[in-house]
Amino acid sequence: MSLAELLLELLVMPLVAFVIGLGMVLMMRRIGARLQRRVGPPFFQPLYDIVKLYGKRTQTSHGLVHDIGIVMAVGGYVAAETLLPMPGMNGIAEKGGLITLVYLMMVPSLGMALGVGQCANPNGSIGIGRALTAMLAYDVPFVIVVFGVAFHFGSTNLVSIIELQQAAGIAGWGAVQMPLLAIAGLFALHGMLGKQPFEIYIAPAEIATGPMVEMSGKFMGGLFVMQSFQLYTASALYVTLFLGGGENWLFFIVKCFAVLAIPVSLAFLFPRYRTEDLVRVFWKWPVMIGLIGLAFVMR
Amino acid sequence: MSNEISTELVCPDISQWLCHLLREVDGVTHNNRFERRQRLDVESAALPALLTLLQGKGSFVHLSAISCVDWVKENQFELVYHVWSYEMKVMVSAHIRIPREPGRYLSVYDIYKPAGFFERDIFEMYGIYFEGSPWMEKFILTEWDGPPPMRKEFDSEAWVDEHFDWQDYHPDWLKDLEAQGGGIAIRPEEQRFSRKAKDEC
Amino acid sequence: MSTLKDIPVRYEAEEAPARSNPLANVFDEFMNFCRSRSLFMLHYCTGCGAIELPPAMTSRFDMERLGIQPMVTPRQADILLVTGYVSVKTLKRVILTYEQMASPKYVVGICSCTVNGGMYWQSYATAKKLNDYLPVDVYIAGCMPRPEAVIEGLRKLQANIAAGTSDNWKDYYQRYDHYLANQQRLFGETWQTPTDVIGEAKRYGVIGPETEGEHTRLLGQHKQPLEPLRMTLNAGKLERME
Repeated sequence: MSLAELLLELLVMPLVAFVIGLGMVLMMRRIGARLQRRVGPPFFQPLYDIVKLYGKRTQTSHGLVHDIGIVMAVGGYVAAETLLPMPGMNGIAEKGGLITLVYLMMVPSLGMALGVGQCANPNGSIGIGRALTAMLAYDVPFVIVVFGVAFHFGSTNLVSIIELQQAAGIAGWGAVQMPLLAIAGLFALHGMLGKQPFEIYIAPAEIATGPMVEMSGKFMGGLFVMQSFQLYTASALYVTLFLGGGENWLFFIVKCFAVLAIPVSLAFLFPRYRTEDLVRVFWKWPVMIGLIGLAFVMR
Repeated sequence: MSNEISTELVCPDISQWLCHLLREVDGVTHNNRFERRQRLDVESAALPALLTLLQGKGSFVHLSAISCVDWVKENQFELVYHVWSYEMKVMVSAHIRIPREPGRYLSVYDIYKPAGFFERDIFEMYGIYFEGSPWMEKFILTEWDGPPPMRKEFDSEAWVDEHFDWQDYHPDWLKDLEAQGGGIAIRPEEQRFSRKAKDEC
Repeated sequence: MSTLKDIPVRYEAEEAPARSNPLANVFDEFMNFCRSRSLFMLHYCTGCGAIELPPAMTSRFDMERLGIQPMVTPRQADILLVTGYVSVKTLKRVILTYEQMASPKYVVGICSCTVNGGMYWQSYATAKKLNDYLPVDVYIAGCMPRPEAVIEGLRKLQANIAAGTSDNWKDYYQRYDHYLANQQRLFGETWQTPTDVIGEAKRYGVIGPETEGEHTRLLGQHKQPLEPLRMTLNAGKLERME
């Protein structure tokens, strides 16, 4: 792959991810609305939100670190997109690998923590403390799942994982060969997305959206962009590990949306977990299921 | 001290028992006896002793409220102490009169703790100072620097006319609304809401 | 004999520099369109009229299909809904909230109490005319207005935003002296907010001829630095109560 192609792919992959992410935000809001017996927002609503937020004429910044925090939050995901193969574009997935991707997916939370710390709002500090605790909670089953998949397929190269799955048809999919790990992975995915009932770190009416409390205008726009990237990255990673990647664009998009629909549909049905209950739930159920699945895999 | 027992008693027991109890304090008149509400008219010097008696021997441990009535023509404030007994489920209201100048009375905070709150409220709204009450300071009207507003001599409407502006008349707003099909349903002349309309007719 | 004061002074706004980008107008229209289609309302509802907002947001009269969703902090919100009567105590906080919002921001006065005093017109403790203290974009009269009326008022606001006629946030900067005069009439001569409105007006280029005047001249003298709130359990008072 020549340098020009590589650079083009590095540019295009985040853009495509952003567009698909916008569609996922719309799906999330529409599903939530239908569950509440309402009509949801119109089709381009996420785009209008982001354009409006970036079009604010005044803004309140709390310093350089506040700005850098948002850049880190979005930048972490942009870098993660280049390591996540799409149908037809691999980017630098072969050079990077699964472990780097997992590390890069932790960077946005840390970036937001930096930015929120600079804001000096007690609501924000409480929220980001809870967010990092929740990250500690869901990362444990997530790492177990990732290790199990890498062990089963014998490599951490996402491209070869996809090829191995697609070579054997549906019977070769990760979800069919490692069903317990797939279930644990879905649980961890729900926590990673931070959707209800695991959205204690946002807690809109309690701590005024936690980390986002002092974000206005362009900062909030950056966080909305981060949300679209986050939805895409999480579901695309799950599809890559367990559902055979994308043979072509149509199947890839259908699979990504189908995977996302599961946590989003469950999101509006349960009351919120408290932080310590969240940690307990994540360290009990998906870890147990993941470890049993790991035992089967390593047999 | 007169203890007339009227003939139309609904539940004679409570009333008689209360009469008996109240013989221990001077200056109390027992009027208006019903099964659940009894009214006492008390001299202002006798009130603390009466409340202590009611709380201690009389089982009236709950102070429901302290209210105030402004009798402008008689130049007096009337303070009413409503106490409730859980055991007998009877409410007793003790009415006292204090002169309007200088509106001061003593606080019953040491007898009933909730009195601090009610006395603060009455101080803010009527200007009556309760000596010995822990919080004689503003509570609701923190941005207020006028006279105590619940006194009858305070004319709220005149104060408002002096201190606030009214909305400018915008006939184009009404024309916009009428162009869209809306408008006024009841003409202002046919509305009946203020003292002005009553004074005119 | 004419003194200096008698000579009429005409203030002419500086001509905005001609815009070199041929797509500038298109961009502006696109931005106004997006702003009108995505409004975040502040979930801080002042008085009794707030009861009409949950019906407008929930299943029957869904506001999310118009693009309006509630947001919890003033930093994230565009619309400040002043629903119902505004007591003098609340008005202070409403003004502080309004100044924390990011522009362009819109104030909607719901219920008749914001228009001309409404049911509490004789009360000494409520503000009568909201646009003395804040620039108001749309008034929705009623006591309370039905959710259909609220939605119609918000749609009118959206139409105004899309047409570009709804920038009363600039009016706050351009006539700050007038608003501050009215606010100080209610709250006292030394009242001020921690926000540096004049500095912001200068920074964003929306300063006008009436921004600074006799009332704002005294602002710097009374300026007290904003102190952090000391959080205590008020243990002293607890001891006193028992």
